[in-house]
Amino acid sequence: MQRMIAVDKLARPDTHILVPLERMFQARVDQGFSPTNVMPHEEDFLKGRLHGIAAGEMQAMEAAGRTLFDFPDAPWEFQLDMARQVWDESRHAEIFIKLLDYVGSYLGEFPESEVLWSCTQVDDPACRVAGINRGLEGLACDVFEQIIRLAQKMGDPVIERAVDYVLADEITHVRMGSKWMRKLTEGDPERLRQAQAFQDNIDSLFNFQGARTTQDEAPQVPVEVGGRAIDFDATLTIAREARMLAGFSDEEIDRLLKAASRSAAY
Amino acid sequence: MAELGDRVNVMGPQPIAGRTPVPPAMIAAAERVLALLAAGDATGLAAMAAPSGVNDLAELAAAATDAGARGGAPERCEIIAAARVNYHYYVKGRIHRARAEPFTMQFRLGEDDGRWTIREVQNLSGRRSAWTR
Repeated sequence: MQRMIAVDKLARPDTHILVPLERMFQARVDQGFSPTNVMPHEEDFLKGRLHGIAAGEMQAMEAAGRTLFDFPDAPWEFQLDMARQVWDESRHAEIFIKLLDYVGSYLGEFPESEVLWSCTQVDDPACRVAGINRGLEGLACDVFEQIIRLAQKMGDPVIERAVDYVLADEITHVRMGSKWMRKLTEGDPERLRQAQAFQDNIDSLFNFQGARTTQDEAPQVPVEVGGRAIDFDATLTIAREARMLAGFSDEEIDRLLKAASRSAAY
Repeated sequence: MAELGDRVNVMGPQPIAGRTPVPPAMIAAAERVLALLAAGDATGLAAMAAPSGVNDLAELAAAATDAGARGGAPERCEIIAAARVNYHYYVKGRIHRARAEPFTMQFRLGEDDGRWTIREVQNLSGRRSAWTR
């Protein structure tokens, strides 16, 4: 079996539609939407967002499995953690596929992009966990916290509890990433710097050109979800509390917020 | 007996929203694109392109024509999948010929004033093999 699978070599069923992220951005721009991501104020937000997460969980499962396979010389405890994460992510994928059904969608209603898989393209396990476990799983904390708040406003315990259950796992994945990023780079500050730089790149990729705010600063707009009209965030928020539970420092969260607002100036 | 309602799955909660139907007019337009590609009709395809123009459309038409020259008459065309980005649809299609590998492509259709037009195309034949397996 080949190690370090390239972005365009991740197998999918023939009936699955994959679209490079930049093309998906263009499709949204052509329709008068912001390029980056389906936003809470858009029609079908829940369907689109939950679909993106379901696809993301599958890629996260594949990423953890690949990390296990790509680095056979990594410590046994590291491999055990990655194996556990594969199991977690596979459960998450099933949960989100069921949630898709719950909100009137199905796997394949929207295309999948390869952008999360592109974050695996590095041949150092320290960088890999920095990018996947700290960068992407940190993003997952933000996304899930926002959906939980939305579900609370909707009065929908099914979505609220299902996503809260998944968030609890993601927090452990971030902590796992922090632990291994440090352990694998012990006594090698240059390697640690490279791992952190790799994570910074991923954080920057997902700050959505400044379309992110804190929960308190998010402009509130009318949204209709689950047959109810509510006011909700117009942006993707950064979940300080969940990130702190996951072990991110205040300084790291502040840096992320600053980067998001800096991009907005462009 | 108590009224249990129309419960599709008695083991879990019922859906809170219905599915968004795939527009029949979009499917008809996708089938037309496939038929034009199978026939090597570049002019017909160009007429279905969005007014802003579509990069690579002529290239795709030429590749489909070339596949036709090598593979003989088309046996059948099929829509393999359709997925939407908001109100635009990506369609993956395939043209089968007797003496050639199937010609596989993906294109995006968008609707303006009731007319579905091509917004982008991508030739998947011989590319991204693991994705399309």
